[in-house]
Amino acid sequence: MFSLNIIFTELRLNRRSLLIWTSVLAIVIIIYLGSFTYMEEMNVVEMIEGYPDLFTTGLGMSPEMFGDVNVYHSGLVMLYGLLLASIYAMMLAGSMVSRDSDLGTVEFLYTRPLTRTTILLSKVLSFLIMMLFLWAIAYLFSAVIGRVWVAPDNFDLSTQLLAHLMGLLACLAAGGVAFAVAPLINRVQGTTSIAIGLGFAFFIFNSLGSLYEQLRFLKYLSINHYADLTGAASGQAPVTGLIVLPLVFIAGVAIGIVMLNRKDFTD
Amino acid sequence: MNAIETAGLSKYYGKNRGIIDINMQVKEGEIFGFIGPNGAGKTTTIRLLLGLIRSTSGEARLFGKPVPAGGGRLYTKIGYVPSEVTYYPEMTGRDLLNYSSGFYEVESKRQVEELTERLQFDPEKNIRTYSHGNLKKLCIIQALMQQPRLVILDEPGSGLDPLIRKELFDILEELNQKGVTIFFSTHVLDEIERICHRVAMIKEGRLLQVGPVDKLPGRDMHIVVMKIAGLQPSKVELARIGEAEEIPAKPEYYRVLSRQPVNMLVANLSQYKLEYLRISDPTLEEIFMELYEPAAKRGQNSYV
Repeated sequence: MFSLNIIFTELRLNRRSLLIWTSVLAIVIIIYLGSFTYMEEMNVVEMIEGYPDLFTTGLGMSPEMFGDVNVYHSGLVMLYGLLLASIYAMMLAGSMVSRDSDLGTVEFLYTRPLTRTTILLSKVLSFLIMMLFLWAIAYLFSAVIGRVWVAPDNFDLSTQLLAHLMGLLACLAAGGVAFAVAPLINRVQGTTSIAIGLGFAFFIFNSLGSLYEQLRFLKYLSINHYADLTGAASGQAPVTGLIVLPLVFIAGVAIGIVMLNRKDFTD
Repeated sequence: MNAIETAGLSKYYGKNRGIIDINMQVKEGEIFGFIGPNGAGKTTTIRLLLGLIRSTSGEARLFGKPVPAGGGRLYTKIGYVPSEVTYYPEMTGRDLLNYSSGFYEVESKRQVEELTERLQFDPEKNIRTYSHGNLKKLCIIQALMQQPRLVILDEPGSGLDPLIRKELFDILEELNQKGVTIFFSTHVLDEIERICHRVAMIKEGRLLQVGPVDKLPGRDMHIVVMKIAGLQPSKVELARIGEAEEIPAKPEYYRVLSRQPVNMLVANLSQYKLEYLRISDPTLEEIFMELYEPAAKRGQNSYV
């Protein structure tokens, strides 16, 4: 069902991008979570209250966020962290599949004594390991910065664990979407473009769906909505997200297997 | 048992022809050449045999078993060398060989050492630094190291210098003597003549002929290109030598397709005042052109 050979090779081939994106996410956490104390001093709550609701809601902000470090980190910092991480998740999953067509290594990998299903599932497993690593490091940085530096008394690790878990699940769902689409695309550049486009689309759909009643349906198309980081910040497990996001991941992988098995590897 | 068997194998890319109704059997232990001009359908056939693409109709079998559409264990028996070789640029040659051997249960260290030495290949370098020829060597080593029962090669000699090419064909012959079936496509008649037991000729997606190498049509032909000074021969005179035509771009130059034995041909040509003479065996392309292209179309090509 899995090939350890492929799993280790995928981890090795993608380790540089994983380290870069993990570092980016860690830096975002350090800068934004670290600046929470300064925001308190700068009376950002009053400033945000002065902005039009349309503007603050669109950017996923609310005045309450700047008064509570847990809501601030889960609801705002992780919202933008999720934007970055979901783009990376889709780029990673997409490139794992389309790289062989793009590079020409299809004739090597797909003529080994393995089924295409085994090849894809092995890539999925290495993707899963990398996402776990990314979010574990993100959680580690959040915990250290939040607990040691920013708010030693108020930073709730279990709330943050839930928020990071939702982030992880959202990234898995994003990866599932990419695994479903990638067999149709023969260029890494194509999967990268789709990853960036979809990442922003999920973010914007969620914002527009929250802003306008008529566009409410859009947020149901967004993984950000199901991740419900603001809800997680309040300590309540987003049950819908816990069900929908893994299902999207599994369905995406299943579609990817079917598509890959039907694919003709032409030049 | 047949190592390869196809029955009515066809592939269309949308409305475009890939191959049409290919029926072919390659016996186990045979060296089988698959020849045809560019775009004839050689690579499509090979990709169908490897399950990289799915047939529109018909069936391909390897060792009596249908080619699995989604890959599988059957490929433990097969080594494959594609015409264009690309690998992961992040790896060294050794990494790639280790990666490849990880898919097989066969111990391949000794084979790797022997093949790297015979092909004069340094596996310790980064793949992105390898020339086309070295990538080909790496590909040949990874295809042969797991002791396959069938080796499929698409244009194996391309990119290799003559010495290494000779070494490769020596290796293939040795493998064949151990019972390994060799199936390879090529443009190069020398390669076919040197080692193949039988050949199949394909053109425009259709199999034209399958048979022993010495029965290859056009093998008795000679291509004569000559410049005759002074009095030019009449068409009737030239027709005694073979099928002749003037080369439009070069006055006094003629191209003759002759089936006369060389000594007779030279004797016949000696009656003319020759300023230039080249007698060569036809390339596969030329055999195809002579046998299967209309004469009018052939005349559009320059052979000098």
